Amino acid sequence: MSAQSLEIRRSSASVWGSRSGLRTVPTVSKYIDTTTCIGCKACEAACQEWNDLESVATRQTGTYQTLPTLDSQYWNLIRFNERDFDGGIIWLMRKDQCMHCEEPGCLAACPAPGAIVQYENGIVDVNAENCIGCGYCETGCPFDVPRFHATTGKMAKCTLCVDRTSVGLEPACIKACPTGCLQFGTKDDMVALGNGRVEQLKANGFANAALYDPQGVGGTGVVTVLAHGDHPEWYDLPADPHVPILVRFWKSVLRPLGVVALFGAVLGAFAHYTKYGPKEVRGADDPNSNLPQA
Amino acid sequence: MTNGWVDIKNADVILAMGGNPAENHPVGFKWFIEAKKTRNAKLIAVDPRFTRTAAVADLYAPIRPGTDIAFLNGMIRYAIEKKRYHEDYVKIHTNGPYLVGEKFGFQDGLFSGFDAAKGEYDKTAWGYEPDKNTGGYGVDPTMQHPRCVFQLLKAHVDRYTPEMVERICGTPKGTFEKVAEIVTSTGNAERVGTITYALGWTQHSTGVQMIRAGAVLQLLLGNVGRPGGGMNAFRGHSNIQGATDTGGNTEILPGYLKTPVGPQTNLKEYLETATPTTLNKQAWATMNYWVNYPKFMVSLLKSVWGKAATRENDFGYDWLPKTDGNYSWMYIFDDMYRGNSMRAGGKEPGPEGLVSFGMNPVGLGPNSKKMIAALSKLKWLVMVENVETESAAFWKAPREYEGPEPSKIPTEVFLLPAANFAEKDGTFTNSARWLQWKWKALDPPGQAKADQEILSRMILAVQDLYRKEGGALPDPVLNVSWSYTNPVSPDLAEVLKEMSGKAVTDIPDPKDKTKILKTAGQQLDGFGQLQDDGSTLCGNWLHSGVYTEAGNNAQRRSTADPNGLGMFHNWGFSWPANRRVMYNRASADADGKPWDPKRPGIWWNGLKWVGDVPDIKPDSPPGQFGAFIMLPEGVGRLFSPVLNDGPFAEHYEAIEAPIDNPLHPNVTSNPASKKFSTDKDIYGKKEDFPIVCTTYRLTEHFHYWTQHQQNGRLNEMQPGFFVEIPEGLAKEKGIANGSQVKVVSARGEIQGVAMVTKRMPELKIDGKPAWQIGFPIHWGFAGAPNHTGPLANMLTPSAMDPNTWTPEYKAFLVRVEKA
Amino acid sequence: MSTVAPHRPLDTAIIAARDREDIVVGSEIVRHRRASRLIHWSVAVTFFLSTLTGMPIWTPVFGWMAHLFGGLSVARVIHPWAGIAFTLASVVMFFHWLGDMRFLPSERGWLGPKALEYMRYQSDDSEVGKYNGGQKLLFWATSLGMVGLLLSGLLIWFPRAFPRLLLEFAYILHDVTFIAFAVAIVFHVYLGTAAEPGTFGSMTRGTVTRAWARLHHPRWYREVTGEDSRRG
Repeated sequence: MSAQSLEIRRSSASVWGSRSGLRTVPTVSKYIDTTTCIGCKACEAACQEWNDLESVATRQTGTYQTLPTLDSQYWNLIRFNERDFDGGIIWLMRKDQCMHCEEPGCLAACPAPGAIVQYENGIVDVNAENCIGCGYCETGCPFDVPRFHATTGKMAKCTLCVDRTSVGLEPACIKACPTGCLQFGTKDDMVALGNGRVEQLKANGFANAALYDPQGVGGTGVVTVLAHGDHPEWYDLPADPHVPILVRFWKSVLRPLGVVALFGAVLGAFAHYTKYGPKEVRGADDPNSNLPQA
Repeated sequence: MTNGWVDIKNADVILAMGGNPAENHPVGFKWFIEAKKTRNAKLIAVDPRFTRTAAVADLYAPIRPGTDIAFLNGMIRYAIEKKRYHEDYVKIHTNGPYLVGEKFGFQDGLFSGFDAAKGEYDKTAWGYEPDKNTGGYGVDPTMQHPRCVFQLLKAHVDRYTPEMVERICGTPKGTFEKVAEIVTSTGNAERVGTITYALGWTQHSTGVQMIRAGAVLQLLLGNVGRPGGGMNAFRGHSNIQGATDTGGNTEILPGYLKTPVGPQTNLKEYLETATPTTLNKQAWATMNYWVNYPKFMVSLLKSVWGKAATRENDFGYDWLPKTDGNYSWMYIFDDMYRGNSMRAGGKEPGPEGLVSFGMNPVGLGPNSKKMIAALSKLKWLVMVENVETESAAFWKAPREYEGPEPSKIPTEVFLLPAANFAEKDGTFTNSARWLQWKWKALDPPGQAKADQEILSRMILAVQDLYRKEGGALPDPVLNVSWSYTNPVSPDLAEVLKEMSGKAVTDIPDPKDKTKILKTAGQQLDGFGQLQDDGSTLCGNWLHSGVYTEAGNNAQRRSTADPNGLGMFHNWGFSWPANRRVMYNRASADADGKPWDPKRPGIWWNGLKWVGDVPDIKPDSPPGQFGAFIMLPEGVGRLFSPVLNDGPFAEHYEAIEAPIDNPLHPNVTSNPASKKFSTDKDIYGKKEDFPIVCTTYRLTEHFHYWTQHQQNGRLNEMQPGFFVEIPEGLAKEKGIANGSQVKVVSARGEIQGVAMVTKRMPELKIDGKPAWQIGFPIHWGFAGAPNHTGPLANMLTPSAMDPNTWTPEYKAFLVRVEKA
Repeated sequence: MSTVAPHRPLDTAIIAARDREDIVVGSEIVRHRRASRLIHWSVAVTFFLSTLTGMPIWTPVFGWMAHLFGGLSVARVIHPWAGIAFTLASVVMFFHWLGDMRFLPSERGWLGPKALEYMRYQSDDSEVGKYNGGQKLLFWATSLGMVGLLLSGLLIWFPRAFPRLLLEFAYILHDVTFIAFAVAIVFHVYLGTAAEPGTFGSMTRGTVTRAWARLHHPRWYREVTGEDSRRG
């Protein structure tokens, strides 16, 4: 799988990726079952350890959640949400990380060629050597994932352990999960697994159970089983994520229009010169003057 | 655990109560999830808090800390009333049909035989009714006799109506009934349920009775001995099971043999008391396996004294210390603090020194101030530790711990750096009784040494001093067998061999005396080969078979699982005898057929028992022996006349409780439980401290150790001490989430960040609204900068269960203030 | 060794243009004194710096520009600071020229027909003062654009400090403003160089010829020289 999976399907600020087209590689996906996640944070520790991320300063603010949101040095965060439900309470835990969208908003927004790539297996990754740290991907991402690292001046996020997955290993977070609520495999397999679990949940009284694989971004490389699938926002998930319409407009409409306008202006000036020539002082009575006679 | 971690996947119903396995045993918890996913098992969490376990449970029931017996007895009542118990099982595998003597009674919260002056029961008042005709006990196989155990149990739990459960526990009646319905759905042959618990049950003044109540419920439902069933205790540390098995408690020697007491002046007397008499003369006899006690004991003595142990000198029995009172560590510290020994009527001085291996009494003991004050009276203290714990640093505890000025403390502290778990090999015995070898990963840093080396050096040095200078009682010291290849640092594989047992001289084959079963020096196959004549040695009969001639069985790692039940007989070694489910004879009916053919434990194939390693004589046909071979009755005990606080479990309030016991207000707390009486042992009144408090642990931290990590990931994930407070209480006190709060008990006060949460349910106790709070234990004044915090045990009381002397950490009274 | 070129004294017009403008010096008129020119060029330089570092970030079509600075990452680092410098220069310019830039009633229509007439060389410029309506329009448009670029730029610079939607609008605003700005500057440069010979000198030497002044800014010519622009 190794070299094949590293072929690039899409690349930021580039028209084409760099796929050889010689082989097809299945799209991979993480599977997160929030109904069997116990919020143990083994995935957080594994992510930090495998990726050699520096420690982040945290403090107890009245929650089990390690940080308020993801951080450039903290790519994997269990989000804890407690709420009243059906006369009792529920405590929802969801592993938050890059969703590896089929149509990544970060990649769409990124201005640096090759800084964000989507590999042939669907993994969306930041190439630090090409990243210019502009932060556009932060705005492009509907899941609020990429983060600017102040020291390196680069954007950082979950790589889906591309270094592990490209040699046939599961991502570090998956490896560390003690309950098996995290799985890794082909997108098709993970969706099948998720649908099975959703059916089981429905049979157990969770009528709104659903597999979160939002089509607004073409589906994600992380499929999530939600017991309360009608309320993804309870899990800090957007109900209908898509690449922001303004980002799309900006990148797909405004930018080409702007380029046309700029070249148009230059051409216009040139055309003007060709037609009218310089507005020149040639003496007031110059018969060749192109100026109207006073 | 009667069963095992993997076996939980075979359950239809899992009751997690008195424990928070998702939090504290996240790796083992995978089998809960497996059961949910593959069997659609129902997981029920009963807990004062909505925990991480509750978060993935199918049903959560809130409960006031310390009232689990009321809840369990309520379920027992529910099962009996609604006939949802496994009647066939109860009749053949429990003492339900047994008749209890007329002396037994229960009135106003007291069982018969109570001596109010001593605070103790005379247990002979609880005996079975002898049957003069058979010489055994009286039985009524129909279980209709008013004094049969089943009827007595039914009468005893009759008070625990759902309404009473709600009144005591605060669990809404409807929720309780839902739990009871699901749990008792396993009271038949088709379904099986397991009960899992941990320190949430043990750490109460009624801890053992809580576990008893759970076990009684499981016996009624016919869930003991079956795959997917059992009473499953989750141990708090990776090798705490091994420590208990190997004599980690004061009252036991390795293999749960009894510590000799003063009057037992010779081996014969000792063995006569310790070996239970087989009295059963029922349809089914009992193996009463403890009749082999002398073999286990003599083999243990041989392993301790080696060649010096001979038949003539009682195998060195005289050299064993005999106790003259309670030497539980709580009592030792009480003596230490008072400066004299309670046992000799206060005439003897208290301890002058303490050697502590891998234990942090200041951190983990209740009433931290007393712990510190006690250590401050010692002349010397040897701490063998990975880090400088609160106990090693007790002399520099902050002012609020009220210890003496460091200059006024006479204690000389020696902190010996010890190797960490990853820096030495050896076995871990997990909660499932599996001995699993682990290999050393790193060398210990600096001068740190493995425990066995530290211990060996001490022993050798003391022996040396005795040889040079002489001293009192030299025999036990000089005769101890220390014949390891490297006596300074014994190879733990060699120690394991000794624990597993070997032949000292040739052992003849009992079936054919002309043959030799084992030649001298050979490893034994198991405890069945142990002898009481000094021809075998064995350091722990329960572990016998872990190291045989075939090799170190703790190192086996086969994942072969022929029946798919996850027994993995060739993975490690499970005591006893590599049996994966204890009492597994009870997994089959009277004819030896499995109750559930899809989940068979063992079954009779016409010639012998097959399946798991049978917990019965393998070639004894069904009907010959009872399933509970370690009990003289041979059956499971719904009525247990051996515990110190009653044969049935009864709800008693915690020593500090917010209400008087609604069942019997005059006997509100456990009459047999123990308290101390020094000036530091203060117990709060509900009028001053109206809020119930409990303590617990967090996934992210390991005991009092994580706080010592300078750059640990785990400290990032749980960066500091906090107090979980219900929203209503926070509103009442004006406490904002994330702000500082002060929690005060009769013994001290601590401060921390308030975590205002819905997860601390607001309960109605005895008809009135009541608050409960809780906080984790993991911080202390020792540790890496920025990672220290208050000791939770500053607030906990030194009140104890009368059977195990375990302090009541899980239910006490406090008040809460805005800081 | 070559000989040192003989010293040629600066001509009087250049010397005069150091401190004063709107005066006649010989055959020339000082249009922009040195301070004005410095201000103009500092705006121009910072603008082009911002543009050259911004355009490769905007679209890979202009990615090659990044090489002028050592790559896109360097351009990314320079761009916001160049923007700040551009803003500062623009603010100075704004106040420097504010007085000259009030629209006259006669200049209405420069947004539409007048501009076209002007470009077709059909406008009646006889009442054009020092600055014509187009120049004033450019002044006000760029000043406004500068504010737009600054505000949107700051948002883009510190994305986490602002709400997401605002940020998305900021991208649009930054782009739209820039495009308008850039188109305007293309024409500004074109008019200042190729289209109207003699203009460029006003921003280099600082002077224009009398004929230039008469042609493009007759009223200003009259005010400076006291002559009738129709003569001579």
